Amino acid sequence: MSILNERIQALLQDSGTAKVLATVDKQGLPHIVSDPSISVNNEGQIIYLELIETSQSNVNLVNSIWFKRKVAIHLSKGEESYQIKGYPAYSVICGPVFEHYYKLSLERNPEFDLSTVWIIEADEITDDTYAARKNKEREKHPLITHLDRLAK
Amino acid sequence: MDKYNDVSPFVIIKSDVTRRSFIYTDRALGALDKSKHQYQQRVLIGSNGGENAAVPVSLLLRDGTSIIGTPSKTAKNPYVVDQIDGKLYLTDQGEIVEEVHYWYKPDYYDKFTSSGTPMWQVASARPQRLDIDPNSHCHFWNKGNGCKFCNINANSTQSEKECNMSKQLTAQDVYETVKEALKQPGAFTNLKMSSGSILSGAEIFDDEVDMYIEMLQAAGDNFKDKKFPSTIVASAFSEKQLARLYENTGLMTYTSDIEIPNEALFAWICKGKHNEVGYAEWKRRIIRAVDIFGAGNVSSGIVGGCEMAQPHGFTNEDDALKAVLEEAEDFASQGVSVVHCVWVPMHGSAFHNQQNPSLEYYVRLAKGLSDLRKKYLLNVDMDNYRKCGNHPDTDLDRGNLD
Ligand code: SF4
Repeated sequence: MSILNERIQALLQDSGTAKVLATVDKQGLPHIVSDPSISVNNEGQIIYLELIETSQSNVNLVNSIWFKRKVAIHLSKGEESYQIKGYPAYSVICGPVFEHYYKLSLERNPEFDLSTVWIIEADEITDDTYAARKNKEREKHPLITHLDRLAK
Repeated sequence: MDKYNDVSPFVIIKSDVTRRSFIYTDRALGALDKSKHQYQQRVLIGSNGGENAAVPVSLLLRDGTSIIGTPSKTAKNPYVVDQIDGKLYLTDQGEIVEEVHYWYKPDYYDKFTSSGTPMWQVASARPQRLDIDPNSHCHFWNKGNGCKFCNINANSTQSEKECNMSKQLTAQDVYETVKEALKQPGAFTNLKMSSGSILSGAEIFDDEVDMYIEMLQAAGDNFKDKKFPSTIVASAFSEKQLARLYENTGLMTYTSDIEIPNEALFAWICKGKHNEVGYAEWKRRIIRAVDIFGAGNVSSGIVGGCEMAQPHGFTNEDDALKAVLEEAEDFASQGVSVVHCVWVPMHGSAFHNQQNPSLEYYVRLAKGLSDLRKKYLLNVDMDNYRKCGNHPDTDLDRGNLD
């Protein structure tokens, strides 16, 4: 069962949403790519299409699927912003699912030569808008604020 | 797995499933869809199916790596592939180990060439590789000196008898099958040819080289450029033969298997190769191929663990591993990647009653070979996880950035 709610799935399907994938390498160094083609499939799993087999993201994703390390995806559109953390569950390099996305990539750009379809299963979602983050902090840490904001 | 927590668990599982073998439950076999999955395949060594015709040809793991093997009825402690809640899993003593998928069938598989040959008998398909084995008869066996782990002639004779599968392919069939295969977008990244050794010709292997030239030219007629991502797994050719092959075909990379990287054991296990060419010369020829194809574009396969075959093999795993890795380092330092498969004492081979080494041996071997490539800056794109899939060590390379 996917934990992605309808709104997040809609944002993932929307090509106007800014989408960023963050991974870490073996030493823990972060690496970020921005990719508007990140999407969601019918099972509520996140799809990341890797075009460069030898890219840092791809190697990091390989290490993530091997050693169960989380990756993060950040979505934002207008005021809305969400952070999703999860695990790469499948690295699809052949077969009907791969070929479906291979053709889709070619339609986007005839130069694209798809390497891997990464299927990522979400594990946690955080509402990352300013209001949500600030409310959470006010609730848990009421002493952290500037006094002028509390003045009459 | 805890002891080797820096090694991909998929590599560990793959090595163990290959060394212990596996069987299918009826439920798992029921999940085979003949319209979608491969259940028959032409292979040189192993089994083409025969009586097991409706068995999946191989397995894919979640990380995109393959387990190449066929179920064994005689395995003493096999893994079991089962279907549970609509998914397929490898299980061990009733415990789920990992999810698996059956290999998909490419679009050309059920078509026929103009001569009426089923295309699946011309080219088999690994997850991203087109495999064409134009001659499935090895001449070393004619003199009774075939490699002791190999069952090529037993397999091809059985397939000819039971499935009417020809031991030799024609260039026209190869041309037509490759043409059809290339119509499927995204299905293949490499074309590989392999064959049993052909000893005849003015110089030993001249006829084998001629055969590859003819077949590679037939396949190559389908490509825009003269060179295309391709490899052959062939006998150790002389410099003159290698140059002829390179100049006349689209071939970009080359493999010749040293099989057992130890001269004394090679002489015993690969007696034909040793008698006709010799270990030192076989090795020298592989290394000289780097002059033509470039460092990293030449590899040599070893039958991992076969160095422990008895009565002449190593009896201690540490000694065996040390000897193998030392010799592999000599190759790597001269631009040749050594890649290993897991030795399976196969039905039809002289070693069918033998026992392969421990799982730990295979984990150390895979890591050792992969680390050597890192040390000598060799990439193995020609023989990597998505091309061949039969080498746990090249699977590991995928987790390193070059
Ligand atoms: S050379 Fe050895 S391994 Fe290769 S096909 Fe002949 S007998 Fe088999």
